Amino acid sequence: MPTLDAPEERRRKFKYRGKDASLRRQQRMAVSLELRKAKKDEQTLKRRNITSFCPDTPSEKPAKGVVVSLTLGEIIKGVNSSDPVLCFQATQTARKMLSQEKNPPLKLVIEAGLIPRMVEFLKSSLYPCLQFEAAWALTNIASGTSEQTRAVVEGGAIQPLIELLSSSNVAVCEQAVWALGNIAGDGPEFRDNVITSNAIPHLLALISPTLPITFLRNITWTLSNLCRNKNPYPCDTAVKQILPALLHLLQHQDSEVLSDACWALSYLTDGSNKRIGQVVDTGVLPRLVVLMTSSELNVLTPSLRTVGNIVTGTDEQTQMAIDAGMLNVLPQLLQHNKPSIQKEAAWALSNVAAGPCHHIQQLLAYDVLPPLVALLKNGEFKVQKEAVWTVANFATGATMDQLIQLVHSGVLEPLVNLLTAPDVKIVLIILDVISCILQAAEKRSEKENLCLLIEELGGIDRIEALQLHENRQIGRSALNIIEKHFGEEEDESLTLLSRVIDQDYEFIDYECLAKK
Amino acid sequence: MELSDANLQTLTEYLKKTLDPDPAIRRPAEKFLESVEGNQNYPLLLLTLLEKSQDNVIKVCASVTFKNYIKRNWRIVEDEPNKICEADRVAIKANIVHLMLSSPEQIQKQLSDAISIIGREDFPQKWPDLLTEMVNRFQSGDFHVINGVLRTAHSLFKRYRHEFKSNELWTEIKLVLDAFALPLTNLFKATIELCSTHANDASALRILFSSLILISKLFYSLNFQDLPEFFEDNMETWMNNFHTLLTLDNKLLQTDDEEEAGLLELLKSQICDNAALYAQKYDEEFQRYLPRFVTAIWNLLVTTGQEVKYDLLVSNAIQFLASVCERPHYKNLFEDQNTLTSICEKVIVPNMEFRAADEEAFEDNSEEYIRRDLEGSDIDTRRRAACDLVRGLCKFFEGPVTGIFSGYVNSMLQEYAKNPSVNWKHKDAAIYLVTSLASKAQTQKHGITQANELVNLTEFFVNHILPDLKSANVNEFPVLKADGIKYIMIFRNQVPKEHLLVSIPLLINHLQAESIVVHTYAAHALERLFTRRGPNNATLFTAAEIAPFVEILLTNLFKALTLPGSSENEYIMKAIMRSFSLLQEAIIPYIPTLITQLTQKLLAVSKNPSKPHFNHYMFEAICLSIRITCKANPAAVVNFEEALFLVFTEILQNDVQEFIPYVFQVMSLLLETHKNDIPSSYMALFPHLLQPVLWERTGNIPALVRLLQAFLERGSNTIASAAADKIPGLLGVFQKLIASKANDHQGFYLLNSIIEHMPPESVDQYRKQIFILLFQRLQNSKTTKFIKSFLVFINLYCIKYGALALQEIFDGIQPKMFGMVLEKIIIPEIQKVSGNVEKKICAVGITKLLTECPPMMDTEYTKLWTPLLQSLIGLFELPEDDTIPDEEHFIDIEDTPGYQTAFSQLAFAGKKEHDPVGQMVNNPKIHLAQSLHKLSTACPGRVPSMVSTSLNAEALQYLQGYLQAASVTLL
Repeated sequence: MPTLDAPEERRRKFKYRGKDASLRRQQRMAVSLELRKAKKDEQTLKRRNITSFCPDTPSEKPAKGVVVSLTLGEIIKGVNSSDPVLCFQATQTARKMLSQEKNPPLKLVIEAGLIPRMVEFLKSSLYPCLQFEAAWALTNIASGTSEQTRAVVEGGAIQPLIELLSSSNVAVCEQAVWALGNIAGDGPEFRDNVITSNAIPHLLALISPTLPITFLRNITWTLSNLCRNKNPYPCDTAVKQILPALLHLLQHQDSEVLSDACWALSYLTDGSNKRIGQVVDTGVLPRLVVLMTSSELNVLTPSLRTVGNIVTGTDEQTQMAIDAGMLNVLPQLLQHNKPSIQKEAAWALSNVAAGPCHHIQQLLAYDVLPPLVALLKNGEFKVQKEAVWTVANFATGATMDQLIQLVHSGVLEPLVNLLTAPDVKIVLIILDVISCILQAAEKRSEKENLCLLIEELGGIDRIEALQLHENRQIGRSALNIIEKHFGEEEDESLTLLSRVIDQDYEFIDYECLAKK
Repeated sequence: MELSDANLQTLTEYLKKTLDPDPAIRRPAEKFLESVEGNQNYPLLLLTLLEKSQDNVIKVCASVTFKNYIKRNWRIVEDEPNKICEADRVAIKANIVHLMLSSPEQIQKQLSDAISIIGREDFPQKWPDLLTEMVNRFQSGDFHVINGVLRTAHSLFKRYRHEFKSNELWTEIKLVLDAFALPLTNLFKATIELCSTHANDASALRILFSSLILISKLFYSLNFQDLPEFFEDNMETWMNNFHTLLTLDNKLLQTDDEEEAGLLELLKSQICDNAALYAQKYDEEFQRYLPRFVTAIWNLLVTTGQEVKYDLLVSNAIQFLASVCERPHYKNLFEDQNTLTSICEKVIVPNMEFRAADEEAFEDNSEEYIRRDLEGSDIDTRRRAACDLVRGLCKFFEGPVTGIFSGYVNSMLQEYAKNPSVNWKHKDAAIYLVTSLASKAQTQKHGITQANELVNLTEFFVNHILPDLKSANVNEFPVLKADGIKYIMIFRNQVPKEHLLVSIPLLINHLQAESIVVHTYAAHALERLFTRRGPNNATLFTAAEIAPFVEILLTNLFKALTLPGSSENEYIMKAIMRSFSLLQEAIIPYIPTLITQLTQKLLAVSKNPSKPHFNHYMFEAICLSIRITCKANPAAVVNFEEALFLVFTEILQNDVQEFIPYVFQVMSLLLETHKNDIPSSYMALFPHLLQPVLWERTGNIPALVRLLQAFLERGSNTIASAAADKIPGLLGVFQKLIASKANDHQGFYLLNSIIEHMPPESVDQYRKQIFILLFQRLQNSKTTKFIKSFLVFINLYCIKYGALALQEIFDGIQPKMFGMVLEKIIIPEIQKVSGNVEKKICAVGITKLLTECPPMMDTEYTKLWTPLLQSLIGLFELPEDDTIPDEEHFIDIEDTPGYQTAFSQLAFAGKKEHDPVGQMVNNPKIHLAQSLHKLSTACPGRVPSMVSTSLNAEALQYLQGYLQAASVTLL
């Protein structure tokens, strides 16, 4: 039925300025520019090991406070000596320097040319203590800047580190996992170096029920770094290898393991619908939704992020998230006491609202509008912003009835108040929403009441003031609304118009038509 | 052009001439400069002059010319030649910053503007040194130079406040932050230190404070898009210093000027803005500073005087408090009863007082006063800010706030009662307080719509408002009269009708008040009361209720127009229009006088039209007089023509541009009132209407099209017989209009009238060419609006000339064209047609195509028959497709070079909706059923099979419904 199918088809096209739903969904752009400080609630990229993590370390226990017993010259000399004892002492001293809490001399150690020797030491399987110290030192160097990580990679550390994953010495093995995690965390290039060196099967082989928890945490964290970063994403093969392990880890009770496993999934779902599909198809959604109810912020944040990413996908993928019960949880999360969670929840919601109208219907069924309106009124600005996006997506995709419910939820009052917000994009979106609602009201012949409501809320004053906004698009939008919907007169159903008409056409000889 | 002394000399001569008051000398010089500005070195010659000329006037003139030259030419427009050669561009950028910084202020401003224009295009990519060059100057220690740099930076960065986030923008901001944020912070600290070392040196302080103002503005721009890492890390430095500056005072910086804000005030206002920005956007990070700022701003308010120069500061400061007190987590900063009392007492009440400056405005600058007080263009005023604060506080503390204020209102009214002539301002403040307290929501149309229940409005009206208005002397205490009238206006929904009716003669009486504000408010209040709707959507007051006052009302309204200062008072004219509209036939006896007065007014203002609203309402009033009178007595149209044509002729002859569109609309109305053939007086005008010069002004177009339509409707035969030679010109107008995306619909209006009314033989020879033109436009620039109009046109054509004629004309242009039009345009796009009449035309036209076009039945077009029927059923049953492709948004405005030419449509000259198929077809669905039935009788068996095989089920069901309703069947 091509013709009678038309309304649905059109509504999709009309959504957000004629863009289809998938375009309106806001994908999080990890590479996009940020003016802000890095987020505190994001997962760390690289970590330095500043304390020994394992009680049965093969090396002597680090002294309290770091006492450097050798000078840099002596370290260089020691490292380059052929005596394993001297090598050990020098490496350990270097490692201790690199582990001091403040201002570790990463640059100094690299410039001293110690890396190639340390990489050599990784291979000295006769001396696990030396291997351990070298791996630790390299871990800490790799935790530095990209340049510093690069020095470790170019020193040839990856392959020997992977070989250490099979070491019988648990401490050595764990330190190698950590070092690889730092290398992979630097970015796509080194991450792929680690992957193509076949680290994944070795890492996965380490996972066992008897593993000490700290070790398991390290493995999970390293796996998450192997999933992390875009441009390019990690290859399909790697993802397919890692996914079952993540699923397994997600059943664990330890919140750090859960957290990093969720972060890994959040990276894997931060991309195309195909990549989202890989994750969703594992059936992980119900578990993720359970984790969204966690009282641990470090579990809640990445699980919510992952589900939020999933609903940027296709309508079917979004449907699966809804079926898994995400909408049961989201209204509570909108009322979470942490603004960052409110914001994340509103973002997830905005993408559900960008879907077809039966998804919007679900939002209504789970009663998300009241907490959403509460956020619009009293949330922090960054939360209000996401809530405005949600309303905008809702309004552009909604059926007439849904739109009426939106208006009845009291959304206009906070929207009108936000018209003075110091954020041009938000102002423009609100104008679009108002215009969209007015158009709908026009069709229902309820425009007059709506106009009055908007005026009562102080909306006209604000929209009128926006006509003079320095941002031209806002000025025009405001002008359009005023002209179309708030014409001055209301006599005999005729409105006073002052229409703007163009001037720039060529003048044509009137007689030319006749001559032809 | 070489950089030679001779050329400098020549340029100097010409620049001098451009300042000559005599256009005969000035214009050629301007032309000459324009003609040489394309030459290499021209801008460098100007720069040389503005630097080295001996003559100061020439220096300034060169700098202005230079800036305008940059403004016009710097931007490189795609597909257009580069107007400034590369070498000149490089040279300009290399020298301009230095030149700007070493020039005197007058020239510095021009060059600073030029830098921001260049910067807008070239910065940062094509002007990478600019930032470094600017930052280096911070080290100079010379604050004249530093301020020049800061000003330029401000002009470059202020766009961060209003542009959308984009990668490009943020890359630039990041670059600026990296290079600029730290030096700016250091400069900020250093400047503040210098302020304390130079605390006793007034002239040094002035320069330093100018720097601080600019630095604070830069802070705002750089922090607008998001909170930059640098500023988050350095928030302590900035906020502590801002806080200190807010609390700082220095006698040396206080100004004597009462009006103009001084440096201290400007700086503090900007700091309030900065704090408000952080409070609103970066609450989480700013939270710990906020209470301190609330206290500081609060103290600032308490200690700041009533002078006008503090207005911006005070309103910014109050707005800051207003925005904070509404936030739930800051509620606690305000909830203490003492705090509330002291906010009310020390911040709100003083800022609601009627000040000497207000009194001055009331008397000497009434227009501005009215605009602020009545139309809400008081966004930045103290009273407005105080009202906003009242509303903000009421969100959480309505009861206590109302309680506190009620006490104030009572005591102020008592003060007034003791000695009205001295204490009238107390009553003014009391009324204002009641108004702001009571109004929770307000609209222009209804006044206050939600009132605070704690205030008894009717009681206040009866006890305190009515007595003032009843006093015999309309000129006594004009401010209180204005307050009282305004009270009626805004509480017209709360005050019961019987009280309002009592106030009507009082208001009419006040039309005679000498005070412009008072008689304007009286007119406006009457206008609003006459507009108010009661139950059943009828006007609240009936003509009968106002009838006793008709004569005095009309007399006083027109007399008010003769009061000094009100000869073009738009409120009075609007009240005149509204009275006509309400009173209808009751004004007929007065029409002769009224129309004389209106035409006299028209004649007077046409000498120099300056009040667009006044003029608009005047024309509306004229239209109403015509409508009301001619409805009762159509023959009276001649009297109006007699009265008006003389003035109209003068307007047309003198080419009074503002009025011409109105004149055409009134003439259309008059012409449409004629029942018979067109009078010759109109026909004489006809050729003139086709003059190209008239159509060049876009504001004329809708009115002219309307008038031509009236000509075609009433006089098509006369045109065909007596003015056949004008038909090509008429079509030429159509051709010109459809070439424009903005005006194509007007072109179609005209074309449709031609098709509908002109005898077919008179346009026969042009028909094919018309279609070719439409196709050309379809090919070159297809828009949704054009398609919609096109669809209506071809269907009207089909109705008028027959379905076969339509098919033939398409296929005559190109074989198989008809099929293409069906398949590519009609079937897929018909759902987009909007408007009831338009839809009906399309329905009837398509019905004809389906049932009266043999090629649809037995050629290759037959396969399109069912899809066409399906789309017609869709047109009947589906919601209208109002989607607009992405690229077409804002099309009508983007095509517009400026906002200047607007067309103002007169509501009371409105055209009745015209339905060209009205008599032929009443119900298009039934019509379809009947036509299909007729077709099926001609070829039994075919129609049911076509319908049942490929029409979809839902559509088929609808169709059966139509057939049933028409009681016919398909054979």
